[in-house]
Amino acid sequence: MALSGMRGLSVFISDVRNCQNKEQERQRVDKELGNIRTRFKNEKGLTPYEKKKYVWKMLYIYMLGYDVDFGHMEAVSLISAPKYPEKQVGYIVTSCLLNENHDFLRLVINTVRNDIIGRNETFQCLALTMVGNIGGREFAESLAPDVQKLLISSSCRPLVRKKAALCLLRLYRKNSDVVNVDGWSDRMAQLLDERDIGVLTSVMSLLVALVANNHDAYWSCLPKCVKILERLARSQDVPPEYTYYGIPSPWLQVKTMRALQYFPTIEDPNTRRSLFEVLQRILMGTDVVKNVNKNNASHAVLFEALALVMHLDAEKEMMSQCVALLGKFIAVREPNIRYLGLENMTRMLMVTDVQESIKRHQAQIITSLKDPDISIRRRALDLLYGMCDVTNAKDIVEELLQYLSTADFVMREELALKAAILAEKFAPDLSWYVDVILQLIDKAGDFVSDDIWYRVVQFVTNNEDLQPYAAAKAREFLDKPAVHETMVKVSSYLLGEYSHLLARRPGFSPKEIFAMINDKLPTVSTSTVPLILSTYAKILMHTQPPDPELQDQIWTIFNKYESFIDVEIQQRAVEYFALSRKGAALMDILAEMPKFPERQSALLKRAEDTEVDTAEQSAIKMRTQQQTSNALVVTDQPPANGPLSVGLVKMPSMQHANDTNLADQELIHANGAMVLMDPQPAPVAAPPSADLLGDLLSPLAIEGPTAASVSSEQNLMPGLESGPDAVGALALTTVEEQSNSVQPIGNITERFNALCLKDSGVLYEDPYIQIGIKAEWHAHHGRFVLFLGNKNTSPLASVQAVLLPPSHLKMELSLVPEIIPPRAQVQCPLELVNLRASREVAVLDLSYKFSTAMVNVKLRLPAVLNKFLQPISVTAEEFFPQWRSLSGPPLKLQEVVRGVKPMSLPDMVSLFNSLHLAVSPGLDPNTNNLVASTTFFSETTRAMLCLIRVETDPSDRTQLRMTIASGDPTLTFELKEFIKEHLVSIPVASGPPLPAQPPSQPAVSNASFTDPGAILAGLL
Amino acid sequence: MIEAVLVMNTQGKPRLTKFYHHHMTAEKQQEMIREIYGVLCSRAENVSNFIEADAIFGPNTRLVYKHYATLYFVFVFDTTENELAMLDLIQVFVETLDKCFKNVCELDVVFNFGKIHTILDEIIFGGQVLETNCIEVMKSVDEIMKLERSSNTILLAPIVTSGRNSR
Repeated sequence: MALSGMRGLSVFISDVRNCQNKEQERQRVDKELGNIRTRFKNEKGLTPYEKKKYVWKMLYIYMLGYDVDFGHMEAVSLISAPKYPEKQVGYIVTSCLLNENHDFLRLVINTVRNDIIGRNETFQCLALTMVGNIGGREFAESLAPDVQKLLISSSCRPLVRKKAALCLLRLYRKNSDVVNVDGWSDRMAQLLDERDIGVLTSVMSLLVALVANNHDAYWSCLPKCVKILERLARSQDVPPEYTYYGIPSPWLQVKTMRALQYFPTIEDPNTRRSLFEVLQRILMGTDVVKNVNKNNASHAVLFEALALVMHLDAEKEMMSQCVALLGKFIAVREPNIRYLGLENMTRMLMVTDVQESIKRHQAQIITSLKDPDISIRRRALDLLYGMCDVTNAKDIVEELLQYLSTADFVMREELALKAAILAEKFAPDLSWYVDVILQLIDKAGDFVSDDIWYRVVQFVTNNEDLQPYAAAKAREFLDKPAVHETMVKVSSYLLGEYSHLLARRPGFSPKEIFAMINDKLPTVSTSTVPLILSTYAKILMHTQPPDPELQDQIWTIFNKYESFIDVEIQQRAVEYFALSRKGAALMDILAEMPKFPERQSALLKRAEDTEVDTAEQSAIKMRTQQQTSNALVVTDQPPANGPLSVGLVKMPSMQHANDTNLADQELIHANGAMVLMDPQPAPVAAPPSADLLGDLLSPLAIEGPTAASVSSEQNLMPGLESGPDAVGALALTTVEEQSNSVQPIGNITERFNALCLKDSGVLYEDPYIQIGIKAEWHAHHGRFVLFLGNKNTSPLASVQAVLLPPSHLKMELSLVPEIIPPRAQVQCPLELVNLRASREVAVLDLSYKFSTAMVNVKLRLPAVLNKFLQPISVTAEEFFPQWRSLSGPPLKLQEVVRGVKPMSLPDMVSLFNSLHLAVSPGLDPNTNNLVASTTFFSETTRAMLCLIRVETDPSDRTQLRMTIASGDPTLTFELKEFIKEHLVSIPVASGPPLPAQPPSQPAVSNASFTDPGAILAGLL
Repeated sequence: MIEAVLVMNTQGKPRLTKFYHHHMTAEKQQEMIREIYGVLCSRAENVSNFIEADAIFGPNTRLVYKHYATLYFVFVFDTTENELAMLDLIQVFVETLDKCFKNVCELDVVFNFGKIHTILDEIIFGGQVLETNCIEVMKSVDEIMKLERSSNTILLAPIVTSGRNSR
């Protein structure tokens, strides 16, 4: 380790330091790498000292950011060296350069084990450290008992035991079976009696991990944790070297309180009382002092205590005390404390009954929005967003709007989105909502996505009272000198529809409105032109009696666009021109847009989607999730935002709208943008029902609850199979699941398709449960972890998961608990082995009960063929001999594939890459052809090379010829079919769920997607 | 869990990199170091030591840093760790370095990066806090140093250390 002894290394480091520029450095490094490579090739002549020196150099070079793709064997082999210095270098460098899946590590498992069970403590430490850093599943299986023995051994020094504790933690993470719960929980309780603070800190980290997964087994540890906390915080009973700036080991205090947060509650009244005593002491006994380090340490403990208090649902008095404390913190000089004060206040929002006391600090929080530190500004924004409700929405949103003009560029998008969401959720009245969004577009048009202004149009269309106001506002904003294109869109839409309501006001004559919009026409992009053309058509219609001059002007414009290159614009120009010559008949055709059926805001929906997270569970994470979802979802709060619903109008049922559309299909086909006047324009004003309100704002319900609309929308649900794609054909029908009252959130097929290409994400979600999945693949072995998360505040019962594995997969699902507690997430590992190539898909049959509703879903698991592929690039020398040796069927199959989804070659390359097929450019001299290779892993074939050649026809992208070769006939066939499925229809990764059944939604399939009405309809 | 420990100088040159959670290619590591450096060097004095690292390291990751003379010390960790406790741990690491090298400076870190690794391994183990008492850390590091020196000079001596090292 002491590099002082290695002159060559010091010289090298000096050389690198003296390099004038990156290029020189690269040359020097390359030279050294060349040198090391040659020396390693001729290993016989190397002394252990030299080997050690070169391995150090490799690590240094690696740190500088150069790839070191050789010499791993030399580094690993040093582990087996008999002498300490070499061994140490071997262990350290291996930990840094290799990852847990590296094959070389298997070679040293025995050496490592011998070091661990040997009697040499320094060797034990080295071995434990490496295993603790990069030990994988194989290490877990073969070493865990030995490591446990070291941890509980009374003859080992603390130095070894604390490392053993953390090493065991690593092994437990890799394979939770290595800790036998029954026997081990008593051991843990004993270990918590440890006096050595170092060992105790490590043991506490281990406990945190164990309890996080299974708190039930470790109840006996709970009182011990409280004792430790008492010992540290109350009695301050620690050796002086473990006090850090006067605080008894803040790390151990923090870890102990963290462990306590994984127990759902503390039942024993004595333990609870003792704990609260300590917590009270921490909360009250901490002051902000001069010394920064002391401050940090004492507040680390304090903030953890706050978190624990929140978790334990303390009495209201103590909670208010906490809020008061936080209120003090967010105003102090120390920026770290301000930051954490804001962050913890945001968490505090989760606690019932304290929202009001938090609101008292609103002014200070708004001041923090102007803090010089962007980290603090972000926290302040999050907090304001979370604490917003009807009572303070006006103040907060207006504050955000004001801040938008001066905010950092990087924060504007988030600000704009949050302001829009809050405005929609908590608008005290709709005219204010329109104001806010128009201001938002005015100040930050670039960050206002289309769905935000669609929503404005939807609200205005559905609320007659709002229409004149919105038109007036639109004109006001359009009149400004520099107008954002989004403003042009929304204004011209609103003016086209509603400016005639104000025609008598000065400045609102059709002529003036036309002139104002026409001013912007030359500056807008082609996506806005169609909208403006529709507006012109509407203006023409509303000008009664017709104004010949205006007519001429508009017709000239229609004429101008009649031969425009963009088809959409061209079609509209031609049609509007023809229509506008029909005179009075125009009235019927170009009538006002009918009201939109109520539905969930796309914006709120998107806001929820970003919350999806399936990473490993942790108390804090669960807490933050709950907190953020609380911020976005109103269901947890009393529906105090009544005013919003007053304006809402119950829509004629969807079914009805469809009938109308069907009847007039021809017309809709003809112009896309127009909808015939509803023969029965009888929007019955409904009393604002709680249901309707809940619907619009709830993230869980997707569509309205009225029976009529549900029945007609069932086949439009994004959760249903969408279209005849090849993967979809394999899908189990989910239609029968629709008889459950529970609707899935998001499209199951899309989620599955996405997971076929990546290894973690959400597999399924409905209002009650979210199932996340995380996969690891290693050759023909796979491991899923299913994360079953209960989204509700009451438990899910009778949870059952049955695996229906196809014949080619050997699968084993660990036990799924029958009950998932409220707001909890359980993990179920699933091991699988691939026996041979097949395109069949495993299915998980999951059922659960929520209150009285029984829900049953069948979900495909993304253990598909490409998961067992590992891309490998081959050179021409490797490829051609193999290709020739596999001469024909059944090992080499060729097929002309027709009906291919047209895609460019680069697109095809990226498709192949996503399927784990490595494309080797340049192997095929014909640039229209692709050659790819991959290794397939299964138990029967082991690792088998597969070669693929695709010949495309540049003149016809819908067909191609594909040749697949491998050493196994089944594999060749299955791989061919598998690739074909992906070529013929590409799984849609994600995007706006488009309705699938054209007959029931004719307007959509043909409508232009630049027209807000059409898009809104399309999203229905 | 601590995901990474990074030491870089105020020009953005890495001086120590250790990744605990994900093994990354050298290229990816460098990209992260560059991104972190970009954020760090744009931060003023007297602001907080926290940065959200979601954009760089993935969801739910935090980053604390401390700026000492020409070096930035950066710890990246997930939500299971306490932010201020991580900041304290940086302080422990730096205080230990200072004791080991008698007023540590960037050059010490550059030319003794092996020893720095050894010290770090005595403080953080597999992404978990191992030891926070800097006297205890120094003791273990000294033991290792002694061992190394003795086996360098007496090359043929069999290494039976357990007896000598146990208290």
